[in-house]
Amino acid sequence: MAILEQGVGLVINKKTGLIFFPAFDWAISPTHPEREERLLYTRDQIFEEGVMDLPQIHEYAPRLASLHDVSRTHFCVPRVQSQVTEAHLIAAGSTLQLGDSVVSGEIKNGFAMVRPPGHHAMRVVHGNRGFCSINNEAILVEYLRRRHGIRKIAIVDSDAHHGDGTQDLFYHDPDVLFISFHQDGRTIFPGTGFTNELGGPGAYARTLNVPLPPGTADETFMYVVDNLVLPVVKDFQPEIIINSAGQDNHYTDPLGSMRFTARAYADFTKKLKPHLAVLEGGYAIETALPYINLAIILALADVDYSYVMEPDYWPGRFKESPEKTAQVHRMVEQLLESWANRDKVDIPKIFGVGKYYQRKKFIYYDTDYIEEEQIEKVRMCADCPGYIIIESRAERGYRAPVRIYAVSIPFQACHSCQSEAYDVYEQAKKQGECDYIYMQDKSTDTCITYEKDKGQEWVSEG
Amino acid sequence: MYIGIDVGGTSTNAVLLDDGLVKASATVPSRDDIITSLMEALDRIMKGVPAELIERVVFSTTLITNLIAEKKYDPVGIILIPGPGLSHVHYQYNTDTLFISGAMDYRGREIMPLRDQEIANAISCLSTKGYKKVAVVGKFSSRNNKHEKEVASRIKSLHPDWHVEMGHQVAGQLNFPRRVVSTMLACATRDKYSFFVESVQAALNRRGVEGLVYILKADGGTMPLSKVTGVPIETIFSGPAASTLGVQALIPPGETAVVVDIGGTTTDLALILSGQPLLSSRGAPVYDQLTQVRALAVKSVAVGGDSIVERVGKEILVYSERLGAPFCLGGPMPTPTDALRVLGLTRLGNAKKALEAMDMLGQPLGMSHSEVAQRIINMVIDLVVQEIEAIFKQWEQEPAYRVWEVLQKRKERPNMVVGVGGAASGFITQIAAKIGANPVIPPYAQVANAIGAAVAVPTLQVNLRADTEQGYYTIEQEGYQGKIEKDPFTEEDALLLAGEWLKKRAEKYGLNQAVEKKEFTRRDVFTMVRNWITTGRIYDISVQTPRGIIGHIGARGGFSD
Repeated sequence: MAILEQGVGLVINKKTGLIFFPAFDWAISPTHPEREERLLYTRDQIFEEGVMDLPQIHEYAPRLASLHDVSRTHFCVPRVQSQVTEAHLIAAGSTLQLGDSVVSGEIKNGFAMVRPPGHHAMRVVHGNRGFCSINNEAILVEYLRRRHGIRKIAIVDSDAHHGDGTQDLFYHDPDVLFISFHQDGRTIFPGTGFTNELGGPGAYARTLNVPLPPGTADETFMYVVDNLVLPVVKDFQPEIIINSAGQDNHYTDPLGSMRFTARAYADFTKKLKPHLAVLEGGYAIETALPYINLAIILALADVDYSYVMEPDYWPGRFKESPEKTAQVHRMVEQLLESWANRDKVDIPKIFGVGKYYQRKKFIYYDTDYIEEEQIEKVRMCADCPGYIIIESRAERGYRAPVRIYAVSIPFQACHSCQSEAYDVYEQAKKQGECDYIYMQDKSTDTCITYEKDKGQEWVSEG
Repeated sequence: MYIGIDVGGTSTNAVLLDDGLVKASATVPSRDDIITSLMEALDRIMKGVPAELIERVVFSTTLITNLIAEKKYDPVGIILIPGPGLSHVHYQYNTDTLFISGAMDYRGREIMPLRDQEIANAISCLSTKGYKKVAVVGKFSSRNNKHEKEVASRIKSLHPDWHVEMGHQVAGQLNFPRRVVSTMLACATRDKYSFFVESVQAALNRRGVEGLVYILKADGGTMPLSKVTGVPIETIFSGPAASTLGVQALIPPGETAVVVDIGGTTTDLALILSGQPLLSSRGAPVYDQLTQVRALAVKSVAVGGDSIVERVGKEILVYSERLGAPFCLGGPMPTPTDALRVLGLTRLGNAKKALEAMDMLGQPLGMSHSEVAQRIINMVIDLVVQEIEAIFKQWEQEPAYRVWEVLQKRKERPNMVVGVGGAASGFITQIAAKIGANPVIPPYAQVANAIGAAVAVPTLQVNLRADTEQGYYTIEQEGYQGKIEKDPFTEEDALLLAGEWLKKRAEKYGLNQAVEKKEFTRRDVFTMVRNWITTGRIYDISVQTPRGIIGHIGARGGFSD
């Protein structure tokens, strides 16, 4: 009994780490939603409240991620430097800093209140889409694995837009559970995130999507959290839980049509207990962000947030239609069933029996007006999740299209997959059909880029 | 000729500077009455110097520190207008604190009105309890002071004799809890400070000193004594600032140095980075309460020459307490000073007594006296070195909110460790060796704090925040809010307006010549876009007079001005 009490005491004493990086000198363009002003009022609110002085809070300085941290996760075309600015490296690096501090036990949890965001950035990066260039959470996941030997990670995405980038990056990874609840993709960017997107053959039902009807309010939000998110996360037994803390489900968001409140975001945070929350979208910069960010910080730090309230909110303001609620309840039931049966389903029946499982993707980069066609193949292997091959062709206006060929070896790869993947990479170099050929070997933390025109190869190692 | 005086806890130091040289210096013990100590030291250095040659006098005192430490002030009642946000349980200040309705948001828009009845109730509650001093503080009051002003005027109309202090006039930076503490302390100390200022003026007049008289602030800047418009608590902790400025004046310009001021019971550490003392990024803590007082980053370590040393079992421990003088000076317990004496690193006290002190500790452990002495010195040095490393780490870990701030972060190591204060000489060589820097004990190290006061210059800042959509701007340091007259109001206009206010502020303090040079330390521009249309701009501008000192001691040709 005495020991138990001591243990509880230790947990309470640990602080919540914060990195606030509003990038007051960085914008996509002067009038873009991702502009200097975005976190200005959040700054005002948390500074005026004296949040950084609370004994439960420790504020860290941001730091830069390395280019290798990025290439361990993405295939940036043609190279990392051409896709990221310093601001991107700082946003990603800040997330890594908090990851280090959580793993070392310095803090119990952390919140990277950083911009620019990242959850729409996929494995291949031809440009910016959905205001994102590189995926902060995914870079963190690969970093935690490489640096700290962490294997199982759960990512819960609470942004109003489907976290399609994060989904893409971990679609074939059985050790990452990805749950995204968001406004129904038929009514909002990026137009994906439906219940049938459940992960590849090696990671079936490790991706779960909950498309919510526009107008969904706190009650249904909490229903999804209590009945789907929490039990599934608990069942998965992750070593680390990450929350992609987008805030555009708020009832005042100009881009989304949902009706969540700051209080509900805090309740969700308190229930999920993420080790790390990473800010994603949210563009009601005056009416939502100052209140949601404050509420999330207080919830993480276990400080009373019941006095935090939007000035125009009153309890009971939003009523939900019973039909819509019933529809969500049915969806939750169906997803729970998929989760429960994840290891019993007939994989060959769903995905076929070939050497590779293959899917074709068409990806639109809304910020940069790029159209990408992609064929993604994953090696079906009984011993590991299998390596991934991507052939991608991107067109941007009237410029000559860029063709790339990329091979990614997962950190769990078996020996035969690893050596086979290198053969595939060498083969592609010889064929000379693509402008750039990439090898991303997560098992040895080695990244190689081959440029056809120059006949030259660049290697980076972690 | 310039005079600097530092009234410290145990002694008062004074120097007379003439053309960059120290003409006279004096050290007298500090008395209970600060003015007596001040005048005693002043008279000592002015011996034979005609009073009319004194161009200026700067002093640093423990007056406000003592007032607050000893709670020698009338009780202050607090009326808060916190609105939504943090729970009110966080707002506890050991005095009657009343909460009333009303709220402003981050842009100074009223989101909840005041309620007359609640204001009346709060005032009558404080009146019943006998308060005559009240601090009125609202969240975001520096963005809109309307609520604070309304409550203050209600108090004034009911109780014209009460002293009311408003948050937006004391502490304009964003941080409501710190604003509350700063306002409360300003309210508590203002009249005592005024009384002190009048007494000093009178005493100086009697001596015929007609030069300018300034008081040193915690940030190393000065404030004219005659203008009590400033905030008295800004003069708290000016002692460590004085020592740091003194070192700045005693070492070559542009150096990176650690200042180690080893006293009887505490060691103060400060940084000079490329010739400029490091400012604390947030306000100074005053006895566990966080304020918005701008201060140099000074770290106090609870160890000094008089700290007691004891043997516990097989361990020798250095404690933070003092029980009197070192053993070699007739004190009751062994101390680090005794260890220094045994190793020949100081000449203080009686050598035999010092050896005796070491033997008391070492004999049961079978250690020779020099072994014991070295162990004690090592313990003190390790502690100080650890804290020096921590200060540098903390400086490197300062938050950054802009890309350029992250990119310009640098690692800097000190070239020199500069010792000031009584016990510094015995330790400084070994501390410097440990961190790979040169040990320096400058001439006049004993009176470095008085030199620091003598060379300090006024510092003035103005933070302007203009919101063109709302059509008004605020000046943080003045608690002023006014209409933006120009349309469009550009960044250039904002910079000009900030510059004008700096000038206005200088005039108010009688410091007109101080604003000949100015530097902008922040110029953020935020474009406000609503529904894809630019609706206005927010400008966040900081302008200040350059920080610095009058000149370096012994510089050729004396001071430049």
